[in-house]
Amino acid sequence: MSENYKFDTLSLHAGHIPDKETGSRAVPIYQTTSYVFNSTEEAASLYNMEVGGHLYTRISNPTVAALEQRLAALEGGASALACSSGMAAMHLVVSAICSNGDHIVASSKMYGANINLLQHTMPRFGVKTDFVNPNDPDAIERAIKPNTKLVFGEVIGNPGLDIMDVPEIAKICNSKNIPLVLDATFNTPYLMQPFKHGANIVVHSLTKWLGGHGIAIGGAIVNGGNFDWGDKDKFPTISGPHFALGGISFWEEFGPSALIAKIRAEGMYNFGPSLSPTNAFHLMQGIETLPLRMKKHIENTHSISDFLVNHEMVEWVKHPDLETHPDHQVAKRILPKGSGSIVAFGIKGGREAGKAFIESVQLASHLANVGDAKTLLIHPGSTTHSHLSSEAMKEGGLTDDMIRLSVGLEDIDDIKKDFEKGFKAVKKLNK
Amino acid sequence: MIITFKGAKTYIGTGGKSLVNTKRTLCFLHGSGQNHLSFIQQARFFAYKGYSVIVPDMPAHGFSDGNPCKSIKENAEWINDLLVELNLKEVVVIGHSQGCLVALELNRIFKSFLKSVIFVAGSNKIPVNQFLLDLSKDNPQKASKMMVTWGHGIDGDLSINKWPGHSHYGEGNNIMCMNKPTALKHDLNSCNDYLDGIDASKKIEVPTLAVLAKNDQMTPLKSGLKFVELLKNCETHILDCGHFLPSERPMELNSIINSFLLKLE
Ligand SMILES: Cc1ncc(COP(=O)(O)O)c(C=O)c1O
Repeated sequence: MSENYKFDTLSLHAGHIPDKETGSRAVPIYQTTSYVFNSTEEAASLYNMEVGGHLYTRISNPTVAALEQRLAALEGGASALACSSGMAAMHLVVSAICSNGDHIVASSKMYGANINLLQHTMPRFGVKTDFVNPNDPDAIERAIKPNTKLVFGEVIGNPGLDIMDVPEIAKICNSKNIPLVLDATFNTPYLMQPFKHGANIVVHSLTKWLGGHGIAIGGAIVNGGNFDWGDKDKFPTISGPHFALGGISFWEEFGPSALIAKIRAEGMYNFGPSLSPTNAFHLMQGIETLPLRMKKHIENTHSISDFLVNHEMVEWVKHPDLETHPDHQVAKRILPKGSGSIVAFGIKGGREAGKAFIESVQLASHLANVGDAKTLLIHPGSTTHSHLSSEAMKEGGLTDDMIRLSVGLEDIDDIKKDFEKGFKAVKKLNK
Repeated sequence: MIITFKGAKTYIGTGGKSLVNTKRTLCFLHGSGQNHLSFIQQARFFAYKGYSVIVPDMPAHGFSDGNPCKSIKENAEWINDLLVELNLKEVVVIGHSQGCLVALELNRIFKSFLKSVIFVAGSNKIPVNQFLLDLSKDNPQKASKMMVTWGHGIDGDLSINKWPGHSHYGEGNNIMCMNKPTALKHDLNSCNDYLDGIDASKKIEVPTLAVLAKNDQMTPLKSGLKFVELLKNCETHILDCGHFLPSERPMELNSIINSFLLKLE
């Protein structure tokens, strides 16, 4: 990260400087698919990756690049690549590093689509994953095999809110020369910068707190630049000759940015999950206020979790900043500014009570997203997991009384009042 | 490509093309604490233009093993021996920062094959302050970080980059971290101890090109302008950026070098 400008300044300025011709203070939306070449020579030099520049928006775009450079600066990484969604980012990383016969060690407590991709989709292409408890560094170490090509987890797990002990796990990965890839969606670089703790690659769903307003889907990969891909037997498509560009070795030619160079030349080229320039603009607008929003998200989260802890209608409350959370000590150490704005809680009265609560609140929105400026709620027992029995939900680490709350930026007293309406409905039901 | 040279693994970037030693070869010499990756956007560019390109990682830098050279003269001798080993017929040397001092010394010993010398962010002397010299010994990582910060203009601070998605600081720090930890202190001391630059500059007979940076905090423009006055036949350009010209202004630099090379014949 820049030594000269601090985080809040970079959130506003990194990646863009007004151009001399128009002086546009805001990042312009370059709503274009392609770019006129000044000469055939210039066209060739872009295709050959001789110099940087834009040739087709599926590969790169100036508005998207401003977002990428802002993210690289905020994370303190060597380079970044933005794409159409958080899941696209995840797939790009996995497919860039792994090939048929390779193995992944991943956290067992993650967002459903992250689990599905590794558990069900990637094995069809010969990439297998062993899932282990993210709070157990020894188990992670034991699961690593000679063909393990990456270790993956979420810094703050969705929805269980388990905290990975990133420095400990990074030490293990480092000693075995395996990249540690982290989904840092729930923490954002404001709360924690994984590269400072030894991680090597970060993936983000920009859809959530970074974008922060629930208006655009997007994802990103940030490359720490701190991983040695030089082992040609282990990472043959990054350090060995690659089919693209006449047998290029991305590691030799691009060093710290080898992974991003490869993803642009292969993933963006052949799969094509590009981010629209307009969405990049919206996401960047969000990032401009990330520090302010995250401060308020955390403040509101602490206030509402105290309220819930002391509420007679609440059975339990889960948030890593509460002393009762099993990972509280790890959270205090690696997320000193706060461990995100998702709170899980159980309502007295089980599945039916959860349903009644959700249906009676007015301000908090009942929907399947997190990280919006507005407060969001979901009751897995009556929605995403309604087809499962209580026992089956327990096996997945969920309970049927559980409500997942994404704390927004409203005046928190209004949210508390709103919740009282929900609790009143539950009380009526319980009578 | 990787060769064994003077008994040590030595990496030489060739810009993604094979080295043809019968062609005119552009030899890029990296600066203090750098390696071949400081010329990412030059190596491929000129190799694909049809030049033979070599970007050696000096001993203990980048992918090269061996012990770091301990003076500018030692660096120049090492490069001289490498050029002889590779049996190169005609060489244009392009130095960046410390690489410029090495080029000055190389001119004295490798004269007959040298077609031209190009100085990027160069001078005839590069004094280094005691604080940085000490830090490079005690905490090379921190010293590298400071150099990356000082070395870039505003584009570094704000992550402004023509290369989509890339951060000058993040990339610059990690490039320097690839070297052996002792490399930096020897580089900086070599620069600081080098006092023969005036004489060496006056001895250059081949055509020269100097590309200087307006906001250079490592080899200040003032010092660069004095330096070019010592050169008999020097074409000089000034670009609006910091010391890390090759990554801050790749297109402009490549285009200036390319036009100069075309005029050489
Ligand atoms: C932790 C985490 N990672 C990744 C994703 C996927 O993000 P997207 O919806 O942008 O593809 C989500 C979405 O909920 C998430 O919560």
